[in-house]
Order: sequence, then C-alpha cells, then structure tokens
Amino acid sequence: MGIRGLTKLLADNAARCRSDQELKSFFGRRIAIDASMNIYQFLVAVRQGSDNLTNEAGEITSHLSGLFYRTIKLMEVGVKPCYVFDGKPPKMKSGELQKRIDAKKLAQQEAKKAEETGDVEAFEKYSRRINKVTPEVIQQCKTLLKLMGVPVIEAPCEAEAQCASMCKGGLVYATASEDMDSLTFGTTRLVRRLWSGATATNEKKGIRPMEFNLPIALEELQMDHSTFIDLCMLCGCDYMDSIKGVGPTTALNLMRKHGSIESVFKALRKEGKHVVPEVDLSEIRQLFVKPEVLSNSEINLQWTSPDEAGLIDFLVKQNSFREDTIRSGIKRMLSSRNAASQARLDTFFKKKPTAAKRKVDEDDTVSSKKGKLSHAM
Amino acid sequence: MFEARLEESAVLKKILDSVRDLVQEANWDCNDDGIVMQSMDSSHISLVCFMVRASSFEVYQCERNVSLGVKIDSLAKVLKCAASDDSVTLKADENEPNTMDILFESKKNDRISDFQLKLMVIDQEMLGIPESDYTSTVEMSSAEFRRIMGDLSTMGDSVTIEINKGGASFSTKGDIGSGNICLQKSASVDKPKDGVKITMVEPVKSTFSLKFLNIFAKAAALSDTVVLSMSEEYPIRIEFAIDKDVGYVRYYLAPKIEGQES
Repeated sequence: MGIRGLTKLLADNAARCRSDQELKSFFGRRIAIDASMNIYQFLVAVRQGSDNLTNEAGEITSHLSGLFYRTIKLMEVGVKPCYVFDGKPPKMKSGELQKRIDAKKLAQQEAKKAEETGDVEAFEKYSRRINKVTPEVIQQCKTLLKLMGVPVIEAPCEAEAQCASMCKGGLVYATASEDMDSLTFGTTRLVRRLWSGATATNEKKGIRPMEFNLPIALEELQMDHSTFIDLCMLCGCDYMDSIKGVGPTTALNLMRKHGSIESVFKALRKEGKHVVPEVDLSEIRQLFVKPEVLSNSEINLQWTSPDEAGLIDFLVKQNSFREDTIRSGIKRMLSSRNAASQARLDTFFKKKPTAAKRKVDEDDTVSSKKGKLSHAM
Repeated sequence: MFEARLEESAVLKKILDSVRDLVQEANWDCNDDGIVMQSMDSSHISLVCFMVRASSFEVYQCERNVSLGVKIDSLAKVLKCAASDDSVTLKADENEPNTMDILFESKKNDRISDFQLKLMVIDQEMLGIPESDYTSTVEMSSAEFRRIMGDLSTMGDSVTIEINKGGASFSTKGDIGSGNICLQKSASVDKPKDGVKITMVEPVKSTFSLKFLNIFAKAAALSDTVVLSMSEEYPIRIEFAIDKDVGYVRYYLAPKIEGQES
C-alpha cells in the first residue's frame, strides 16, 4: 500500500514538510477524500463488540454509520468534504491487488480456525481483516453522500490520482488519504488521520491530523517532482515491488548519486549484488506523471441541502437506523450549512514569511549534519 | 537580558484575559518599541494582537529583539499569584529564551515573589495586516458595545452591522425572532466617553459572528471606548486602546459572506 517507508524517509530528511494540525484549522477548506480507503476503515473500526453493525436483513451497515456521522462532524467544523471514488484499477496494479486478495483468503481461513478452536481474540483480529469493500457497499455510500448533499466524484481510474489533480489545480485545498502515494501523484497537501481530530479521545491523546506539504518536502530533499517520483518508485510502490536490500534511505542515496531510476538500475545491474526487476520504468512513471483523471473543468463541486425525506427512507426504513438520531444528524447538517458563509481571515491578510525563514536556517544545519552521517555510513 | 517592569500587574492580567479565549500559545515579540503579540484563533477566522509600548514600562530594556513563546494559560496562572497593585517584572535571556522570570513586588515593598515560567518554541504563521483605510468607523463606549453584543446573542448567532449617515445599527435574526439596535451620533459634553462618534466615507454593511464579538467584548475591561472600523466585504477591526497610551488590543474578524460557496 502506498510507497514503502516514505513517511519515515520524509521524517528523517524533510521534517519540515510534516505538521500536526488541529481539525479546526481546516475551517472553510475544501478537502478531497479518498473514499475507498475511508470506507474500508469504517468497516474495520465501526463495530459493536466484534461484529459489524447490521440492518434487519443482516447486511452490514458499519460503513453507512461511519460515513454519516464523520461527514457531519467535518461539516460542523466547517470543512467542505467531497468524496472521490476509485474507478477501474490500472493494469500495472494487478500484482498488488492479487496480493490483497490472497491476504483476505488467508484471514478468512485463520478466522475460521480461530472460531473452531474458540480463540476469541484471534477471531476478532482476523474477522476484521476479512472485510472487503464490495461494489454494493460503494454504491450505498454514494447514495448516502448524494442524499447528504455532499459531492461525489467518480475517478476514471485511481482515486488518489484524481485527488492529486484536483489539489494541484486548486479545486480543493488538500487531499485526505492514508496513502502516501498521493504525494507521488503530486498532491500539494496531503492530510492523514483527518478523522482523528474529530473524536474527543484522540484530542485528549494529542493525536491530530498530519499534514504533508509537497513543495516543502521537495525543497528539503532538494529535488524536483519527477526525481521524487523516481525515488518513490525505487522505494517500492503499488505498481512495482521494492528491490531486496534497497530500503528508503539507500534509495534516497542512490537517487542523489545517479539522478534517475534508470541510472540507478544500470548501476545496480553492473554491481550485480541486487536482483533488479525487469519492468517498464517509463510506463510506470507515466502512471504517476499522467494518470487517467477527469480534468478540473469536468468537475462540479457543489454542496447542497440534505434531502431529509430521502435520508430517513434510506437509513431508517431500509437500513434500520434509529429515526431520532438520524433526524438530529440532519439538524446538525443544516445548522452547519448556515455557518458556512463565514470567511477565513487569511483570505484577506497574507502570510508573512519571516517566521518560517528562521526555521529553514535551523533545519539546514540539521539536515547537513544528517547528510554527513549517512555518507560516513 | 530582556527586562520589562510594569507598575501594576492589573494591566497585564487584563490583556491576558482579552486573548486567552482565542489563543492558547503565541510568540511575544519584544523589541525597542515594546512587546507585541499577534495570533489567529485555531479556525483562522479571527486574529488578536496587542501592543504594550516600551514607554509605558517603568523599566524597559531590550538589547536584542527576542521572541518569547508563551503559553497564555500558564502565564495567566502565574499572574493570579499577584495582587492587582503589585508591580510585575518580566525577564528573559535574549540568547536562549527558555524560561521567563516573573517577579512581583508589593506596593509596600514587603513582599517579593519570584516565578520561573517555561517558554516554548512556537512555529507560528504571522499575517501581514495592511494599514488600510477603512471606509467607516464608529467610536463608542466599550461597555455599550459589550451590552449590545450580549443582548443580540440572545436572539441570533450573527450580527449585521451597518454604518450610514443616520448612525450605526446592529441587527440580528434567529429562530425566535429578530432584533435591531440603532445608535445615533451624539456628543456627551460632561462624559465624552459616552458619546458616539461616526466617521463615514461610504456607508457599509457586513455580517459577523456574535460568538467571536462576544469574546472580543470582554476587552472592555481594558478601555472605556472601542473603535470599530469597517469596509465592505472586509474584516472588521475592533480596537481597544489601553488607557494612558499604554498600548492597544486589536481584533480582526472575517465577515460572513452570504451565498459564498467555496
């Protein structure tokens, strides 16, 4: 999933690109949310004991509950969410997808075994892993979002790529995903753990949304975006495996030494120590540079009033949610829409660069020290 | 060594009270002119800044500009330990501002208390605020301002402030009904602070969140008068000048823009 070890690599070499934010600071911002990732999280996390929530027919409804309440929470904070769904997976990803299918099968077997032997803990652990985001689940989520008046965007291919293109074009302020390859696709601002700011327990524990800023990361790594893409590929991404013996730190050093992944491969082949995969590098690179996405002019982001009758019918009648809680949710949505006219102050006053500059100087000395260290190794 | 001594701690206490509902931590920038703080609230809707001029201190020494990262609540806690008429002295090492020394001395000089407060490194976004010319301003009693904001909050969440030739009007609408308070230009001869002064180049009308305005109104403790400065579709500036030319506390609040969809 994503780029192997990229989070740590950035933390070690471009610490300034990451900052913890309060959820509130995204007030008034449009955020593109990578839907499938989040829905999967709901299936795993929203539970009663060890079981998913279900409706009368026994169908899972965890995703609906999660999506409904968390989206309201975002709207109440003043965030304008839009959800981006995956289209068809790119061909190059089939290897990665097969791996995930295998992992699910394994989890299913393990869960069955645990059930037979009565190992409750193991059963819970594996049964969570079985969850699969089925087309029905996706369809229900889309229906729910549309009833809530939240924009739904169907990407022709990968959702992360679509989010990145929207973010680059300024259509949204940031992408919310757990997937670091959003940065590889060129998302200028990536927010991870967006939800964490939405719950009281996380707030207490100090778990906050993490923001990654791509321009700062590139500045700190002293590379342009195309070199960064090469670096990510070398670390191992969804479309190609990593090379045994080449971790993120080595990958960074190799990239700095050779400049492009082709030259790195050539050098490694010459050295003969590593098994270098035979893949079409330029084809994979094209997936990151020119992914299949909708152009921003084809996207119409509009937040509309929730359809109260529709929501009651869908959630209460069809999916056995309690009517009073849904009604109070709808009320919260309506009142958050009234608050949406509030402007942000920083749209009127521009940021002063002074404070940041001082910090750059400090970081420079740190990174140069680190640079020396890694050379010594 | 940075050192600043204020004759009465009350001023500092009131300043802290006027920012603590909006800001948890902020850099206090100390230079030749005095101490300045600027910070947005976490939702980036409002901004508060204050300045205490160097001349208003009994002793003011600042050889090098220094930023002190202050946790507002912690400093407020320390200041609770001072009587209002105690003098207060702030000291910090300009080269390594890790802690701030805070010294209280009673009027009779028979009690001296000494606190050390840990400082923080705060990575803060500063906004450049243009010294713009506002099209309209209203100067009025700060107690009156506080009262109007309180009264309107019983009805609604936001207030529409309109300044025109006739005067200044504050109106709100809520679930239970609506309300309007109108002030006319007036000059009170014996008590100048109770008058309402209006300067107007162009009439202006904007809507703002009452939640924030009520927080700002608490700064009425600092000053008898308040000046509201407005331009069309622009943040309102609300300034409380601290008595005797000590300095000021200013608030900026972004307007609500109807039909805004972005």
